[in-house]
Amino acid sequence: MLRRTRAFPVIALLVVAGIFGAACSDDSGDDDESSGDDSEEASSSSQSEDGTLAAVIDRGTLNCGVNNSVPGFGFETEDGTFEGFDIDYCKALAAAVLGDPDAVEYVPLTPEQRFPSLASGEIDVLMRNTTWTSTRDGAEGAAFVTTTFYDGQAMMVPAASGVTSIDALNGATICLTAGTTTEQNLADRMAGITHTPQTFEENAQVQEAFLAGQCDAWTSDRSQLAGIRSNWPADSGGPAALTILDETFSKEPLGPAVVDGDSEWFDVVNWVVLATIEAEELGVTSENLDEMLESDDPAVRRFLGQPVDVEGEEAVVDHGFGVDPDFTVDVIRAVGNYGEIYDRNVGPDTPLQQTREGTLNALHTDGGLHYSPPFR
Amino acid sequence: MTADVTGGAGPPAPPDVPSSPPPHGGGPARRFGGRATALLFNVRVLRIAGQVAAIVVLLVLAAYLADNYRANVADRNSRTGWGFLDEPTGFGIAYAPNFRPGQPVRDALRVGVVNTAASALVGIALATVIGVVVGVLRLSNSWVARKASTLYVEIIRNVPVLLVMIFLAAGLLTLPRIQEARQIDGLAVISNRAIAVVSPVAGDNLGLYLALVAAGVVAAVALAAWRTRVSNASGAPERRGLWCGGLLLAVVVGGYYALGAPITWSHPEAEGLGVVGGFSFNIPYVAITVALAVYHGSHIAEIVRGSVQAVPHGQTEAATAIGLSEIQRLRFVVLPQAFRIAVPPTINQYLSLIKNTSLGIAVAYSDVASLAFRLVGSSRAPALQMVLVLMAIYLTFSLLTSFFLNILNRRLQLVER
Repeated sequence: MLRRTRAFPVIALLVVAGIFGAACSDDSGDDDESSGDDSEEASSSSQSEDGTLAAVIDRGTLNCGVNNSVPGFGFETEDGTFEGFDIDYCKALAAAVLGDPDAVEYVPLTPEQRFPSLASGEIDVLMRNTTWTSTRDGAEGAAFVTTTFYDGQAMMVPAASGVTSIDALNGATICLTAGTTTEQNLADRMAGITHTPQTFEENAQVQEAFLAGQCDAWTSDRSQLAGIRSNWPADSGGPAALTILDETFSKEPLGPAVVDGDSEWFDVVNWVVLATIEAEELGVTSENLDEMLESDDPAVRRFLGQPVDVEGEEAVVDHGFGVDPDFTVDVIRAVGNYGEIYDRNVGPDTPLQQTREGTLNALHTDGGLHYSPPFR
Repeated sequence: MTADVTGGAGPPAPPDVPSSPPPHGGGPARRFGGRATALLFNVRVLRIAGQVAAIVVLLVLAAYLADNYRANVADRNSRTGWGFLDEPTGFGIAYAPNFRPGQPVRDALRVGVVNTAASALVGIALATVIGVVVGVLRLSNSWVARKASTLYVEIIRNVPVLLVMIFLAAGLLTLPRIQEARQIDGLAVISNRAIAVVSPVAGDNLGLYLALVAAGVVAAVALAAWRTRVSNASGAPERRGLWCGGLLLAVVVGGYYALGAPITWSHPEAEGLGVVGGFSFNIPYVAITVALAVYHGSHIAEIVRGSVQAVPHGQTEAATAIGLSEIQRLRFVVLPQAFRIAVPPTINQYLSLIKNTSLGIAVAYSDVASLAFRLVGSSRAPALQMVLVLMAIYLTFSLLTSFFLNILNRRLQLVER
């Protein structure tokens, strides 16, 4: 009894002192950290040790933020595997960085979740058919790399409605998913036309409402609508029950985004995308890759990270952004070139039936917009 | 009780030794301790020091978090400040025809607040009615009423409210399409886009008519007082209902015809892709409001049942003993006491109903939370600031509600003398 009475104040004192001590050291630790941050920031331009690239290599998997309900772009099949255009770019990136296209952790995200998720570091890269806009680049803390798919917003109506132009949708209820640029494009396009913009959280809910006749039209990116149309339930008439109107009323450049301020990681993601485009231009495909490795064309050799004869000396191009010079080989082996990715996921032979000739998604040599700076 | 010599709760002390200043090994030792040591061993000083330390720890933690936030926001080049509230919204809002996409974000949030309030207020009213009726039915003598209400309460109360909402929304989708809407004789139009009912519209002389009705009410009150006086003086029956009701009926009906239809009726009709005329409840609103009313109604029913049963049985027996009828027993003895017991838990139900309106996004309802998420999703508002705004809005809703209901609660409680 007596000992406890004596011990109590001493223990209490120790605890209080400990708390104060911790608080003080907390403060000083804080200062240390922030000064450490500064010095790291200064050196990050040359080589950063705690950037996303190092984190991904450390972890051994790539956290890829994706969509799971848009056929052709990001879709989760019944057995839980992911497939689509954006998914292929996740694989390409994992192949380039980790050497294994399957070392990807897919993180399905809703439109509202995607940017906070990217900013918080939950995902390393966002490949969720996301439109590149100025405010997203400037204010959301995201940085967009080269566009992978040039899309535009369109309107889908039931074929039976007989509607042939957007202007005929006066008084209509137009359904769409919330939290996307789609909402703003719709408001711009429908200025002066009475309509009810009925927003749902997910595509599945829009589909339900659309099937029940709550919606007169469904607006989204044309490629998404094509995907949804291709998957339309047969007992509701299948794809033929829907018409996608011809008018495209917005620019939707879709591409991967990474967090702002990590230029090394930005470069890696950007050049993985560019590699698929350059490969197509050089005629490198996943099928002829092994022959191409033996090619004499210096452009091809440089692109594939093979030694090139420069004035009698064999030299390999060092890109300087932290992955092996022959990352392009891994990329092409994993997913093929841009044309192969396109044809496999959204091309004329897929349910989406998106012709590529004559659209913005053709190579620059065919009048499209896909163009890669040289690999050298 | 013996005299309090130990100075209240504190470290265990020998019962026969005063604890302040604390003993440590008897009298003489204390003298050598010195003043500083004495303070260190003083329980009151230590307690205050502990509180100060806790405050310091909390402040340091808050400062660390704020600094961390600032550093990370700057690092990621995210938006700071509140300027976004004045920037254009950029998208339209369903069922808010007067809202233009060019209006600033704060206007969009205002639409959301109105929508949230509309579903919360109506939801609370409906939930109360459902709760009281079902709660009383739970105690009814009728076997069917008792079992049916038990079934309702036990099923609804034990599933998540989100499920009730989605179930109801899916059910409402099965209503006829607008093209095949069910029209009930100009009284209502039912479709899976909107449910419209006949609504009153101001006609000529509406102001005059309302003034007349108000005068009628005043006259009826005066008449009631006069009848009471007559009754007290002469012992004649009061018959207030007959006198006052008759007067009011005469004023309301007579005035209506005399002034030539001061109120006209707007009849809803399905036309094209929507409903014209009448008053339209859009389907998302119906889904969220009814779901909340049904769900919280089941909880309130349990509160009502429990409160009635909590009134001591002796009260009922006493009421019977002085010859009150069953209705009188409920009206004057049981229900007033049950009401007092029921109010605090019912306030809790109201508060959680208000907060549950934030699930509106699940049924495409434009409540303030779903609008906030849309603003964040379309890059019109930074996520953290938007969440802070939302927290402030819900806090205001909830604190206002509990402020007024707590005043009511205090007035209802028994004042013990």
